[in-house]
Amino acid sequence: MDREDGRGFPLGQVISHGFLILVALLWLFPFVWMISTALKPNADVFAMPPRVIPTDIQWGNFKAAWNYAPFGRFMLNGLLVAGIGTFLVLLTSSCAAYAFARLDFPGRDNIFVAYLGTLMVPQEVIVVPMFILMKNLGWINSYQALILPWAFTAFGTFLLRQFFLTIPFELEDAALLDGASRFRILWNIMVPLATPALAVLGVFTFINYWNSFLWPLIIVNGQEHATVPLGLNIFMGQYGSQWNYLMAASTISILPSVLLVLATQRYLVEGIALTGLGGH
Amino acid sequence: MRRAAQSEAVATRGAASWRIRRRRPRSDTVAAYGFLAPNGIGFLVFTLIPIGASFVISLYHWPLVGEASFAGTQNYRALATSDPVFWQVLRNTFSYVFGYVPLNILLSLGIAVWLSSKIRGKNLFRVIFFLPVVTPMVANAMIWTLLYMPQSGVIDWFLVNVLHISGPNWLGSQTLAMPAMIVMSVWQGFGYNMLILSAGLQSIPVELYDAAAIDGASSWRRFLNVTLPLLTPFLFFAFVMTLITSFQVFTQPYVLTGGGPGVSTTTLVLYLYNNGFQFFKMGYASALAWILFVIIMTATAIQFVAQKRWVHYG
Amino acid sequence: MTQTLQKRTFTRRHALKVLGGAAGIAAIASPDTLLAAPGTSPFAVLRAQETVNLKWFMWSGSPAEVDAWKHLASMVTAKYPTIKIEFVTASWPDYWTKLPTEAAGGTLQDIISLQSLRTPGFADLFQPLTSFIDKDKFEVSAFDESIIGGLTYQDGLRALPYDFGPEVIFYNKDMFQKANLPFPKVDWTYDEFLDTAKKLTTGGKYGYGAWPYPDSWLPFALSDGATYLDSAGKLDLTNDSLVAAFSKYTELVHKLKYAPSIPSTKDTNYMQAQWMAGNVAMHVNGPWQMINFKSGVKFDFGIVPMPKGTKGSVTVSAGSGFGVSKTTKHADEVWKAVTVLTGPEAEQYLASAGRAFAARKDEQQYWYKNAVEGSQETLEAALKSVVPYKVTPQWQQVSTLLLQYGIPAMNGQTDPKDALTQVQAQAGG
Repeated sequence: MDREDGRGFPLGQVISHGFLILVALLWLFPFVWMISTALKPNADVFAMPPRVIPTDIQWGNFKAAWNYAPFGRFMLNGLLVAGIGTFLVLLTSSCAAYAFARLDFPGRDNIFVAYLGTLMVPQEVIVVPMFILMKNLGWINSYQALILPWAFTAFGTFLLRQFFLTIPFELEDAALLDGASRFRILWNIMVPLATPALAVLGVFTFINYWNSFLWPLIIVNGQEHATVPLGLNIFMGQYGSQWNYLMAASTISILPSVLLVLATQRYLVEGIALTGLGGH
Repeated sequence: MRRAAQSEAVATRGAASWRIRRRRPRSDTVAAYGFLAPNGIGFLVFTLIPIGASFVISLYHWPLVGEASFAGTQNYRALATSDPVFWQVLRNTFSYVFGYVPLNILLSLGIAVWLSSKIRGKNLFRVIFFLPVVTPMVANAMIWTLLYMPQSGVIDWFLVNVLHISGPNWLGSQTLAMPAMIVMSVWQGFGYNMLILSAGLQSIPVELYDAAAIDGASSWRRFLNVTLPLLTPFLFFAFVMTLITSFQVFTQPYVLTGGGPGVSTTTLVLYLYNNGFQFFKMGYASALAWILFVIIMTATAIQFVAQKRWVHYG
Repeated sequence: MTQTLQKRTFTRRHALKVLGGAAGIAAIASPDTLLAAPGTSPFAVLRAQETVNLKWFMWSGSPAEVDAWKHLASMVTAKYPTIKIEFVTASWPDYWTKLPTEAAGGTLQDIISLQSLRTPGFADLFQPLTSFIDKDKFEVSAFDESIIGGLTYQDGLRALPYDFGPEVIFYNKDMFQKANLPFPKVDWTYDEFLDTAKKLTTGGKYGYGAWPYPDSWLPFALSDGATYLDSAGKLDLTNDSLVAAFSKYTELVHKLKYAPSIPSTKDTNYMQAQWMAGNVAMHVNGPWQMINFKSGVKFDFGIVPMPKGTKGSVTVSAGSGFGVSKTTKHADEVWKAVTVLTGPEAEQYLASAGRAFAARKDEQQYWYKNAVEGSQETLEAALKSVVPYKVTPQWQQVSTLLLQYGIPAMNGQTDPKDALTQVQAQAGG
């Protein structure tokens, strides 16, 4: 709890750092082991005693994993689904949020209550009707089935509405006097001012789409439309005994997430504090 | 998306941070509906109607192909009385929640507080702890399947050769599989709460500590009397969010154990998935979904009532 | 001559030219395409020349298997240049979950695959082949009768078989040699099996890999005279004879410890992988795995029939084939493709690759030629003692539940009888 600077014994500091490093290494160990296993020949995966640094490094495992399952395809699928999904969420949410925050129309409060009321409903409650809906639309095994059901969220609307409410009316009034359209106001005034909220919403929406597993598992068969987690699951089902390939595949599949966290690490705490969202 | 939605609902209801500005917005009906339409129609089709449909389906015997037949409350009654595993599944889900949530909160609080002290490279540590939160759960669970292997896994090797105790068959044991799943989940999920609490700690003004320090309070007392009360809104948020999402656990048992051994790690959502999408009993699965929904709502409601006793809004 | 090409060129002026060419090509490429075309409409001729893209859904468990199936798909195109096949695959357990979903979603593939044990449960998704067989005067008698029976349901054969085979014991010769043990004989007994397993269990390795999937332990139970169906053909897992046999099997793990304890998993190939990694010396499997073992293990191995129990050495056999899906729009093309996929050349290829003990009797020699030493003697002995593997329509669920509940029973945590009772309660209906 030593928040004040200059206090605290150097020895305490050393112990504190040492212990923290130990815990961090422990936390990283599963990933280290994953990479280590990914580089071993299959016969050495369970060799005793276990070796963190393989004696016989097989870079070819990555190539093999990549070839046995179309990971490039999985990633492109994931990018497509998460990209379009995120775009739709940001676009439709900001429009609806603007209506709720700034415009008066009949039924506004009732509609807003309906939005609020669904915020707590878990996804699992609607997967069955959603599956039946997709079945009847003939959308099983399609990109639209992966994207659309989760692209019109009450949540994004709600979050952005809260943010828009904090923006002063005066800016808008001036623009209205100049004869700007509502759309121009949204696009030129509200959206730029809401950039932090949009960025955080965008990043977490993207991650949620990217990591989503239950829904793709239900709605997608085979590799053609599989996203990364589903592709990994397919890979595991088929090559379950080849732990070196499995771990190589895992390494490939976690790489984008790791890069994203590293790229945004400076904003992690602030972003979470801003919106309190994301995560599994 | 839905998880995030829940998080926001909790954040706002808990902290009551939003208020409509007392100013009459302009009347502009056509524009308003135009702005609302894309999201509103999608929301209607993909959220509102499915919620209602879900309840209706739960009152039917609804096969994958063929005609559905009205069942009344039969699905619910079958769950409660004749289903050989439903109660076990419910118990499993609660064991997971009661194991996972406290461990997650304690660990995230501990690490967050630790990292708020004078530590070099804070961001690096935070990134490390946060990493498993954003890596795909399927990959995380696969890695742990490997670690938990009996005889040939690293954990058992460590226990046998370093600690000289016997290495159990973690995922093959009805008593140990659930704890093993909880440990994996804490490893995976606590980083998120750690960041929430870190944000909370950063929001506490330094002057309060200085004042407490002048009063001669020990660092432990300062933690109890200054830090903890001011952190309670964040703790509340983290607690309720973790509670809700832990009732929805699916991927970990799906990948780690397939719900076994026996049904000892089959959770509500895994059971829902098996019934709905392996055995194609859609009505039965919907009934499970509504039971899950009621449990989550009740647990959340209890927290909101209880929060008055311990959450301190400054 | 693809569809797009035709769209571009099909004008009145070009029609005759195209027609002439098409008819010519058709006549050269395969005379029966022209004959099969209904009526004499020029469009029918044209349609016969259009490329038909078929999707083929099949399970697979290794890259070697996928390569083998893709090779077969290319054999179809080589024979019928207008038929192109896209291979779609899933793991063994996923295949059986996804097949009904595809059907319900209206996306069922054209060529779909069926295993004999799943015939009663999944036959509805397959067209009966009777009319195709009659029309082509197709020789069904070239196939082994038992597997034809296994793929027949009510009003007809649902799939043409590519393989079948009895469950036998695969053993790791290197481990036997290291333990100075003679290789098991074709007529070995259960006591000899136990004794061997005991001696092979040493230094962290185990003599036997016990696995709760029914295919792995039912042969032991049947060899002791146990039954798992009642006289009406209903599931009966809780009769005394089966409980006793299953209990005895679980003891290999929790009491005798000749077999390793098992983690809970949905990987149906877990024990097979343990054997391939050299951690267990023996395990039960079928001849269709030869392809994976020949390419995937670093030791010599052999196969031997099930050891004799109180009622002799009894085993079960299972096999698989390809059929015409209920919803395909190209039933005739699918039938043609299936006849190639299960034709003599394909069978020779699959048998040589070790993927299939050929369902066509004349091609079985190729499996023997390329399998391990002593295989022929073992398989012929096993085939003599094989009983029809009768199953219930819920067999898929029975297998899944046995995997789930059998694991704690094997690990000694639950009473084997309770495990069987649970499975009976959930899948007996």
